[in-house]
Amino acid sequence: MNPALLKKTLRLLAELTVLLALFLIGGQLAAWLGWPIPGGVMGLALLLALFATGLLKPATLQLAAGWLMAEMLLFFIPALMSLLDYGSLLRSEGWRILLVIALSTLLVMVVTAVTVEMVCRWRLRHEP
Amino acid sequence: MSLEPMPLFWLALTLGAYLGSRWLYRRSGRYLLSPLILVPALLLAVAVPLHTAYTEYARNTHWLMGVLGPVTVAFAVPIWQQRALLARHWPALLVGMLAGSVASIGSSWALAHLLALDDAVSLSLLPRSITTPFAMPVAQDLGGVPELTAVFVMFTGVLGAMFGGILLRWLPLRTPLARGALFGVGAHGAGVSRAQEVGREEGSVAGLVMVLTGLLNLLAAPLLVMLV
Repeated sequence: MNPALLKKTLRLLAELTVLLALFLIGGQLAAWLGWPIPGGVMGLALLLALFATGLLKPATLQLAAGWLMAEMLLFFIPALMSLLDYGSLLRSEGWRILLVIALSTLLVMVVTAVTVEMVCRWRLRHEP
Repeated sequence: MSLEPMPLFWLALTLGAYLGSRWLYRRSGRYLLSPLILVPALLLAVAVPLHTAYTEYARNTHWLMGVLGPVTVAFAVPIWQQRALLARHWPALLVGMLAGSVASIGSSWALAHLLALDDAVSLSLLPRSITTPFAMPVAQDLGGVPELTAVFVMFTGVLGAMFGGILLRWLPLRTPLARGALFGVGAHGAGVSRAQEVGREEGSVAGLVMVLTGLLNLLAAPLLVMLV
């Protein structure tokens, strides 16, 4: 392995360890406080607090954060394979499910875009 | 069929299919070859003839889903980097995310009942427009099946990325904020990729609202539990 790649890999692993640690600490914290919030979300809040206080810079974790988000698909592929246990469900309800998803997605997109556009135009008219 | 002699078969196939499909997609740019579509299709094409059960597939691959926890933590980076955008436009984005989420949950619920879908399916459909790391825990809270939700989230992404481009031609949207929010709230990760193709600002907006909409839904889940 060439030195540059080795260095980048070690860097990625170190950054991933920090994110994993925040996830685990977040889980512990949520359990300790008795809050019904997943460890990942508590970890996210902790990380934002670290950024805000300047103890950590986003650039420090950029490599691992970018990598995790870019490869996120890989991490939920196993869940998609649950389809293996739902063959009969898909045969009986598959088209209806797809129809719900399609219509609802269209509606969400139109509602969101039109709402944001209207608020933006309203603010443009009411600002000096 | 059990593949006892090859305990890591499914893990190896999953990783291999993912890397191969990612390479193919980058080279060809064809949407049908994107890992979102090709990998599950390929895995199912192997697993269905072998009569593999989900538990058997998941035995050595379920830990991959555990990485979604650290992914959630990593979402702090785009939120922090886009804080200037958020500070300037939070009223429009917040109103848009709330309206979009209400439209998503309300219409999924109404349509599922209208079409007489199974209870477990209906509940699993409710969080389908937010990104998977948030959608799965919300499904759990609501009493749905998180794995089914992941499947519905995927279909939402595939369809949403397709619809988004068409809607942009129909809707008279003048602001990059509205164009970005359309993709981020409506089609999560797949939408963010499409929004990045539309424009730089659209991509940033989509990425930011994708994460914030997920957070908003997750924090509102206990409230939703009381309603359903």
